[in-house]
Amino acid sequence: MSVRHGLSRTATAHAQREVQKLVDELNGVTAAVVATVDGFDVASTTIGDADPARMAAMASSIVAISGVVAEEARLGRHQSVMVLTDSGFAVFHSVHRRDGELVISVLARDSAVPALVAYKAAQLAKTLAEA
Amino acid sequence: MKEYKILLTGTVGAGKTTAIGCVSETSPVMTEVPNSDTAIDKERTTVGLDFGQLTLDNGDRVRLFGTPGQARFEFLWKILVRNALGVIVLMDNSRPDPLGDLSMYMQGFAEALRTLPCVIGVGRMHRHPVPTLDDYAQRLESTGRVFPILDVDVRSRADVILLIDTLLMQLEADMQGETE
Repeated sequence: MSVRHGLSRTATAHAQREVQKLVDELNGVTAAVVATVDGFDVASTTIGDADPARMAAMASSIVAISGVVAEEARLGRHQSVMVLTDSGFAVFHSVHRRDGELVISVLARDSAVPALVAYKAAQLAKTLAEA
Repeated sequence: MKEYKILLTGTVGAGKTTAIGCVSETSPVMTEVPNSDTAIDKERTTVGLDFGQLTLDNGDRVRLFGTPGQARFEFLWKILVRNALGVIVLMDNSRPDPLGDLSMYMQGFAEALRTLPCVIGVGRMHRHPVPTLDDYAQRLESTGRVFPILDVDVRSRADVILLIDTLLMQLEADMQGETE
């Protein structure tokens, strides 16, 4: 099976560097995955037992469902979703590229700062949109 | 008036989204995105859920939920089947191994199918007559299951309604069996 995600090799390498940086630099972040909108991982870094393939599939589902909620409520184009739990949180951010869309997902423990992680995910989405 | 939740599942390209769109009285909820899997000859694919509603002739309401077909979305199958009263499995006979596909869905929904009625709808049989409906029945039987298996074209509203009616008949028969 092969996947066409629209990212060049350079852009894929950039995505890989950026997710690595996100996990390395942000306290409490345990996984970051860039995936296609139909659920294939393109770049990922995890510490712990998160499976990038499963994260990619789940991210595509949650972003797609969020997208129809936004559309139903006429709230405009989907940007991000945050799932808060009693021991951490997950952020899912859409990447709107000219040649297609991608999804970023980030998992973090409760030691991480949600606003900072959300900001960094948004920054990554911005750079990937232009890559 | 009764309310039914019915789950539509089955292989990629079998027509789950089409079937729901074909019978839903309200604008269906769809979560299709561009497909990037080159192994599948399809522009868009469902990654979340499909949802539609219809009213039967007797006034009963059916809420239809469709799943993504690919096994990587198996986590959603388990969520979407919760509280369903029955399952419709759509197969695409033009795929390389339709009986293998059937086994995969029987396994994926094994827990739910212990108690829920199920109907199998097989599409594209006219151009791809093999495996036959008997072959499907034999494959099901080998797993200890007996479900109705129908040759359908899910672009036809009548065929989708037939699948739903068959499932509801099974459901009623099961309920009568329980009360007797």
